[in-house]
Amino acid sequence: MNTPLHLDLLNDEERFSSSPIRMRVMLPLTTSFVTLCLLLWWSLLCLRTHSQAQYKEALQQAITSLTPAHSAVLALRAQEQEYRSIVRQLGLYKNARNPYGKMLSNLAEHVTPTIQLTQLSVPPPQPPAADPANPLFGPTNTFEAVTLHLSGRTGGEHPSEAVNTLLATFRTPAFTNVFRTAVIPKGSFRQDVARDPESREILLFDITCDCVPRRFE
Amino acid sequence: MKSAPLKVNFSSQTKPFTDVVGLEVGAAYVQGVPAVRLRKRNGKTELMAAGFLTLPGVLPQKPDLEDEVPVWSLPRPFQAQYAALAVTSPLAFLRHAAGSLDDEEANKLLAFRTASRQFAPELPPLSAGIPKFQATWAARLLPEGHQPTACSLQISPAAAINTFLTAPLFTSVSGTAVVLFVFPGYTSLAAFHESRLVLYREHPIGYAHVREAVCSHMRIDPSLADSILEDTFIDPIPMVEPVLRTLFRQVEISYDYLTRRKNCQTQNIFVCGLPSGAKHWTSVFSRMLNLTLVPFLPFEGLERASPSSCLPENLSAIAPFLTTALGAARAALEDV
Repeated sequence: MNTPLHLDLLNDEERFSSSPIRMRVMLPLTTSFVTLCLLLWWSLLCLRTHSQAQYKEALQQAITSLTPAHSAVLALRAQEQEYRSIVRQLGLYKNARNPYGKMLSNLAEHVTPTIQLTQLSVPPPQPPAADPANPLFGPTNTFEAVTLHLSGRTGGEHPSEAVNTLLATFRTPAFTNVFRTAVIPKGSFRQDVARDPESREILLFDITCDCVPRRFE
Repeated sequence: MKSAPLKVNFSSQTKPFTDVVGLEVGAAYVQGVPAVRLRKRNGKTELMAAGFLTLPGVLPQKPDLEDEVPVWSLPRPFQAQYAALAVTSPLAFLRHAAGSLDDEEANKLLAFRTASRQFAPELPPLSAGIPKFQATWAARLLPEGHQPTACSLQISPAAAINTFLTAPLFTSVSGTAVVLFVFPGYTSLAAFHESRLVLYREHPIGYAHVREAVCSHMRIDPSLADSILEDTFIDPIPMVEPVLRTLFRQVEISYDYLTRRKNCQTQNIFVCGLPSGAKHWTSVFSRMLNLTLVPFLPFEGLERASPSSCLPENLSAIAPFLTTALGAARAALEDV
């Protein structure tokens, strides 16, 4: 095909697009729309930042004004916790109390005339090993073994029988709710040598009773 | 400091055109505006639609700022993506640039839009010009956003030459060939040697002068003159010969110029654009110059895009009127 004789007299600014979507109209419109959207987004961002700053300032003021009251509440709560702990401890001690009273009132009925109780003691439990780095202000176990020591004198024709009778009494149901075991430690039967010679017929004895442990629950 | 305005051309066309409708503006045919739609597909040029369109507006002949430009809306078969406009105006010119100075003076009186092309270093460039107000008016006929929009603006004789340049006949012709493009008011002569344009001239005698001679001799209406020129009942040779003799004398001068000055021996002479009386033209021509004048059919060899094509049944009859529109479309399609 030969090159045609195309002497074109149309100017560039007279060449238009046949597309109904005109770039020279759409481009400025799109640019304006995008710019408007960006401005709107920027305005909203500024507005939100401003409102957040205001909210933060109000919160800070509220925190400042509520700090004394908050400190007071915290102190009261700490005090309340302390009191509650004390009350709980008291409750635990109350629950851990062994009913010695009834047992002791019944004891008089079972002590024969030839027996004289001279001492009745419940020694305090062995304290835990002291740790200077972490001092303890109270027992840490939830139960406590309790031992009752009875000391007395007996005489008469059959002193050992009287003591054994008393020991057997401690093993009856009237006492087993408090005493789990009751024994006469070896060598606890002995003559009372500290008194006058007339009294050498008197025998001294000890009875050790393991009580029901105190449970702090 | 004043900043330069930002100019962005959003409609720049980088790809070659594939669908173009050619429109002849200012022909003032009673049938309407000649229009030919061509489409290029798979390397072949197809004829999609051809005919006359009833479109408003008359090409202004004087610069008038208040002259309103009509908006052309083409029928669906003619709605190509782009349009190539060919303007027919007595004020437009096509000539070799080394012509007389009269046109230069005319250019000074009336603002012209011009374009030129040089086909060979030894030949003067061929220049086309049209008054600016006519070019502006024509360019605004097809507004933006509707199909088609203008992609090319040519003047009629330059557009018509393209029908021959792009025809299969042109490639088969060897040596020197001369084509006479007959318009109503003038006849243009284009001479090609080895596929190059070596001479272009215009002679102020067209087929309207022949028709007028018949009308004045027989005292008939111009509409009857064409039928007299076509039928065999009356011999119009005595009436048309004086008119054609003047024209062919000029052709003979150009023929001699090509033979003696350019050393181009013309083997083929074609005539194109005659709506009637072609046989009388060839008869007178052969008697005067002892050469054969061969009719050139511009639509010959053009493939038709059937069945989607919209072509009139009498296409061969109206083809001479559509030559310019066809040439305008082909120039835009083939110029890559």
